[in-house]
Amino acid sequence: MTDLASDPTTVDLFALAPELSVVVAALLILLVELALTGERKRYVNLIGLVGVVAALAFTVALWADIGDGARAAFGNAFVVDAYALLFKGLFLSVALFVLLLSYRYFSEFRTYQGEYYVLLLGSFVGMMLMVSARDLVMLFVALELVSIPGFVMAGLRKFDLRSNEGALKFFVMGVLSAAILLFGMSVVYGVTGTTDLAGIAVALETGERLPLLLAAVLFVIVGFGFKISAVPFHFWAPDTYQGSPVPVTAFLSVASKAAGFAGLLQVTFVAFAPLADVWAPVLGVLAILTMSLGNLLALQQTNVVRLLAYSSIAHAGYMLVPFGVATATDAALNSDAFRAVLIYLIAYAVMNSGAFAAVTAVTRSQPSRLVADYAGLGRRSPGLAAALSIFLLSLGGVPPLVGIWAKFFVFSVAVEAGTAFGLVLAAAVVLNTVVAMFYYLAVVRTMWMDEPTVEEPVAPGKALGFAVGGLAVLTVVLFLGIGVFTDVAGVSTLVASG
Amino acid sequence: MTPLLAQTEAASGSAEFWVFIVIGAVALGSALSMVLLRNAVHAALMLVVNFFAIAVLYATLDAQFLAVAQIIVYAGAIVVLFLFVLMLLGVAGDQAFTGRIAGQKTTAVLLGLALFGVLAAGVAAPFLGEGTACNVPVEQRVDAEGPLCEGLAVANADGNVRGVGFLIFTDYVWPFEVTSVLLVVAAIGAIVLGKRREDPGELTDAPASAVPALRDDDDDEAASDEDAAEPAAAGASEDDEEGTR
Repeated sequence: MTDLASDPTTVDLFALAPELSVVVAALLILLVELALTGERKRYVNLIGLVGVVAALAFTVALWADIGDGARAAFGNAFVVDAYALLFKGLFLSVALFVLLLSYRYFSEFRTYQGEYYVLLLGSFVGMMLMVSARDLVMLFVALELVSIPGFVMAGLRKFDLRSNEGALKFFVMGVLSAAILLFGMSVVYGVTGTTDLAGIAVALETGERLPLLLAAVLFVIVGFGFKISAVPFHFWAPDTYQGSPVPVTAFLSVASKAAGFAGLLQVTFVAFAPLADVWAPVLGVLAILTMSLGNLLALQQTNVVRLLAYSSIAHAGYMLVPFGVATATDAALNSDAFRAVLIYLIAYAVMNSGAFAAVTAVTRSQPSRLVADYAGLGRRSPGLAAALSIFLLSLGGVPPLVGIWAKFFVFSVAVEAGTAFGLVLAAAVVLNTVVAMFYYLAVVRTMWMDEPTVEEPVAPGKALGFAVGGLAVLTVVLFLGIGVFTDVAGVSTLVASG
Repeated sequence: MTPLLAQTEAASGSAEFWVFIVIGAVALGSALSMVLLRNAVHAALMLVVNFFAIAVLYATLDAQFLAVAQIIVYAGAIVVLFLFVLMLLGVAGDQAFTGRIAGQKTTAVLLGLALFGVLAAGVAAPFLGEGTACNVPVEQRVDAEGPLCEGLAVANADGNVRGVGFLIFTDYVWPFEVTSVLLVVAAIGAIVLGKRREDPGELTDAPASAVPALRDDDDDEAASDEDAAEPAAAGASEDDEEGTR
């Protein structure tokens, strides 16, 4: 890392600009919503869009500005480097997408519009802060800023018992895992004497391996394991996904999960890097459990949202595989593992967002969300059915769609490790990919082969149609253009410097 | 003799030692009764006792600021809030938790004890071997142990309150500021969840066409008013809303 401001009170407003513009947008929404009445309240969505687009523009400007270096503010608590900017770009794009998805849903929902957008944007601010955090305290505050609005948004459909149940489960599990995480962090601080991630790595390299420290490392992993809904911390996911408003489900399964992975990457590959031989096998076993259980349970689902929920659990498993092969010594391998997770996250964000957008479109006319509702969708709305097929096939890992690259990088890093455990992980990935194809293809077959139960076409509306179409194109284009992300210079700087 | 025992013996004459023994017992006892008591109000009161005991422990460790904050924030504000909520909701005497899975309680106790054993061993381990961890006074310590044991003396060099304040407004000023955003968001969330609607009709995601609404024709809303039904999951109705009140 380049020389960082040594004075922890230095403020670099340019480096903070993306976060600030989203915060300003959120506060403006709160004010403006008061002045608007009735139907007009939905226009606060536009303020959110402007704020997010401005933040994206600042992110691009920062990208051009830093080159191979980094900017920092507040000492090491806020670092803007290629890694952080890549994630910020990802989060802001997802934010843009969720706002598009929310516009119509919440203008019909007709209640708590302003508050919903404030919560949503607040959560995205938390994500952006998280990827810039190089300090345990900041990481924790950012993680809470991501989670707490999530609890509320999951429970927004207050009249629906399922939403209540989902939100409550999410909350209880979230608070419990936050407590465990914080306990682990406090022990790590107690042993190493610093909260700075790089400083922790230095202290761990030289210090003695106390049993308590190893327990603390596992506690921290548990905390993030909840966020990414890895087995066995996944229980909340299907119920919460099912009960939440659909845009919130998309948010939880894409953005919130990506934020959890970002935090896990920073903690494991930077702070706990010298202890890789302790956490790598643990995360590797979690990876196998997560993908297998997620896929096997997804096979039995008849509800589309639950099916996607279990599929997203399974994908968390694939993304954990590169963690499983990390080592304390082989920097090149770690760098590849790191990159595999990043690529998977980007691909997953595109295809999973798309799948949820398409599901939102269909639930508008058929609220029951059953797989059977999709019968004959190919005849009713060929465009939408084609898009959903693209997303599902990409999730399954069929070329020529972006999903295959995600699996390829994960698989190759598992093989590259050259250990027996690495090969077991690679075999598990292959086996699970085959299993997963069953349920993805079952939905696709229902859409194209079965007789439609209702005749009228699905009308998603402009904003949603734009989101679905754009993501479908992106899923195909990224298959050809994945090199943009693999070649980004300095994406792995975080690992190299840690 | 292990360093831990040596330390204990050296400390046993001091007032601090006896304060720890007494207050430690109180903290432990109140924590256990908090978990075991069946009446929610009694449990909350035990929590207050526990927080006070912990505050005293902080004070004996020369962390005065933390001790006062513990009393004001936890014992003063949070638990009182608990009690308010409990009193407002009304307490139905015996609300024992009954597990549905066979052997759940036993398993929970066993696993809890196992975790306690692991953690206790982990905490004690650095003090049980010769020459490990922070058993040497700061002045005599050679630098080889590095940041492992900087010690309270260093942190409290300028006084405890000053030290905490200095850290919050220098090293941790950024997390401190971000916490304000977190609190705003949390407050908004609490209001959203806690607020009762005056007009229950607004609380369904019923088809927008079923609710009188003024519509703008120039946006995509016009596309499909008939299809505007949102996923109203099973049981979503006014009755449920009334039931949850």
